[in-house]
Amino acid sequence: MARVPISNGATRLVLTLLPWLILAVTLGVTWFTWQHERQNTRTALHSQFDFALREAVSRVEQRVFGYEQMLRGVQSLFATTPLKNRAAMRDYVEGLQLDANFSGVQSIGVVEWVPAQRKAEHLAAIRAGGFPGYGIDPDGPREVYAPIVQREPYVGRNRAPMGNDLWLDPVRRSALEKARDSGMAAISGKVRLKVDGDANAPPGFIMYLPIYASGQAHDSVAQRRAQLVGWVFAAFHMNDFMASLYGSQPPGLTLAIYDGTDANDASLLYRSAGAADADDPARQAAVSANEYMVEAGHSWTLSLRTQDAFESRYGRGIETQTAAVGLGLSLLLALLAWLMINGRNRALRLAASMTEELRHMAQHDPLTGLPNRALFSDRLNQELARAKRQHGRFAVVFLDLDHFKPVNDNFGHDVGDQVLRQVAKRLQGSVRAADTVGRIGGDEFVVLMADLSDSDRLLALAEKLHQALRQIFVVDGHELAISCCIGVAVYPEDGADAITLTKGADDAMYRAKEVGRDCIQFCNAAG
Amino acid sequence: MSGRLLFALLVVLSHFGLAGAATPDCSRSYTLALHDHGLLYSADTDTGIDKDVADELIRRSGCKVIVSLMTRARIWQLIESGALDFSLSGIANAERDKFAGFAWYFSNKYYLLVRNDSGIRNLAGFEQNDTLQLGVIRSFRYSETANRLVDKLQSANRVSQAGGLAPLYQTLMRGRIQGMIIEPFDFPALDANMIRELSTIYEFNDPPVPHGLIMSKKALSVTQQEQWRAIVNAMRDDGTMRRIFEKYFPPELAAALVNS
Repeated sequence: MARVPISNGATRLVLTLLPWLILAVTLGVTWFTWQHERQNTRTALHSQFDFALREAVSRVEQRVFGYEQMLRGVQSLFATTPLKNRAAMRDYVEGLQLDANFSGVQSIGVVEWVPAQRKAEHLAAIRAGGFPGYGIDPDGPREVYAPIVQREPYVGRNRAPMGNDLWLDPVRRSALEKARDSGMAAISGKVRLKVDGDANAPPGFIMYLPIYASGQAHDSVAQRRAQLVGWVFAAFHMNDFMASLYGSQPPGLTLAIYDGTDANDASLLYRSAGAADADDPARQAAVSANEYMVEAGHSWTLSLRTQDAFESRYGRGIETQTAAVGLGLSLLLALLAWLMINGRNRALRLAASMTEELRHMAQHDPLTGLPNRALFSDRLNQELARAKRQHGRFAVVFLDLDHFKPVNDNFGHDVGDQVLRQVAKRLQGSVRAADTVGRIGGDEFVVLMADLSDSDRLLALAEKLHQALRQIFVVDGHELAISCCIGVAVYPEDGADAITLTKGADDAMYRAKEVGRDCIQFCNAAG
Repeated sequence: MSGRLLFALLVVLSHFGLAGAATPDCSRSYTLALHDHGLLYSADTDTGIDKDVADELIRRSGCKVIVSLMTRARIWQLIESGALDFSLSGIANAERDKFAGFAWYFSNKYYLLVRNDSGIRNLAGFEQNDTLQLGVIRSFRYSETANRLVDKLQSANRVSQAGGLAPLYQTLMRGRIQGMIIEPFDFPALDANMIRELSTIYEFNDPPVPHGLIMSKKALSVTQQEQWRAIVNAMRDDGTMRRIFEKYFPPELAAALVNS
């Protein structure tokens, strides 16, 4: 069956590849968009994190600064009154009303600078001031001493014995020296506060401000060292200090603060709730950073890490949806293209097969499937042309069934139709491949015997047809005997055109009927 | 005759005009913040170039100026908000020009200090090696190429921020960062901290960047800024500025910084 060509090969290839091409392109676009969104999300996450880091640093700085201002007030007090004025200090600190906003402060106090030559005088003065048991701890002769001489508010733990010589503690001494030389606030490294008896006390730090002899210049380091009389200090628990920060930290971030620039367990000052989990090596923070702060001349490392809540809040943009929707649309689009292209192909194939069917129906007898009169005429004309060209010979055979009408009348048209189909089959089985058997009406058949070489052969072929129909037909259990009349016209003897030849064959067949049926009549025999 | 009189009058007027520009309005006290940065200012000793410049500015203006120490990030924040009037040794960029005026008094180049064990051979090598971290002081800006490097590394999460130089030197020594951007004021600290031995200095190929007195546009009117700028210019013109720099640098370097 001839197929209607859809188009040329290249176009067909393009059409076959088109759905894949569409899939590849749309997936590519999806990937690109996804990447773009992912980058956007990552940028957003980083900028949110950077903002949070800046905020965290700023909040700590502001709080340190707030406490420094508070301590400057105490420092200023001693610009107007001597260090030994304990009552003024007590009243001042009471006046500060250190409420919850200052919960980080454990105590505010005074450290006196005592060179060895003034030690006896110093001890006597403090003892006379209401602390008969006062002594510098540890005892023993040294060149200089820096004992705590007052702690306020004088309640609870702050009543712990005074006199600790801070100069012996390198961490505190470093901050004391820094404050002395700079004239500014200095923060100590990580310490356990002297008021904390417990070894498991929370980590703390101390802020010192120097007090110089009043009325004396202290513009240079040398002057400041010479004019030093002591320090005021504020002692802090780091966790309370952090609790007193203003503002709030965005959820899903853990914060830790380390003393100095080396972040380790020993230097840990503070760790926000949940931060311990963040140290779990199995959990990799999406973003983390250390910022090295400088607070009152001292370095702290602020370590900020993201956790799930933060990452899911800022780190999951629409890239997942973009990927899912893009993937879905890509597949749908490719499927749609495939359906459209295949639908077109199927429609074209259907049209072709229907055209073929119509053509067949127009040229064939619907009952037997044999060529009808129109197709038979075509074949006859073709054979005629061929025979004329090649000086060939052929025969037109008309064939009419004998006693067929009673079959229809007695057994019904169904049986009649089956007989006709069997006749067609037998006729087709009795001719050569080049011959054409057709049905031209009711019980009339026609055979075109192409390319005949001699008359003996014609007779044999005609006889074969005749004998084929003489066999008993069995239809639905009925045995039916049917014979036929055959009329034969031969080209070129009986005619040189189709009309003459068919008429000759038709006449010969009628002659056969008149002769008494069940026989073969030749056209020229009559002539 | 009348021409001469007019000329004399003009001279007198212009003199008053100049005198007017050089005398700031001292009807209120001002605030000036220093930041701890190498030779510019050391809080440990309360000395430095910026401190000396501030002292001279205060002396010449005759105004009450409260000087304090802050981080550079906080300084820029307060200059922008108008809460702080002045700071020193500031450099401009488009963003800062919106809220700050400047009175230039020196220029310097920028350098990349890199640990020798980071394995780089030139300036570009630092950016190319993804494992290298750069330490910077929050809010600091540098020369054009240096800014580009910092911004690029920042977006790649390769920058550690710090509030000052001291922790950066420590982290560099410890190898937590492999590089930092420095200025000539930082050179003495490199020797003091033994950093020079384990590091190499690469110069950014940019022209020297002008540094100056930072004046908050919110706190000071254009006229007031001009008055303070006139003092700075006078300090340059009469050699005071160069003498201040000569206290901290060899004469040639001081001259190069002040006159470039």
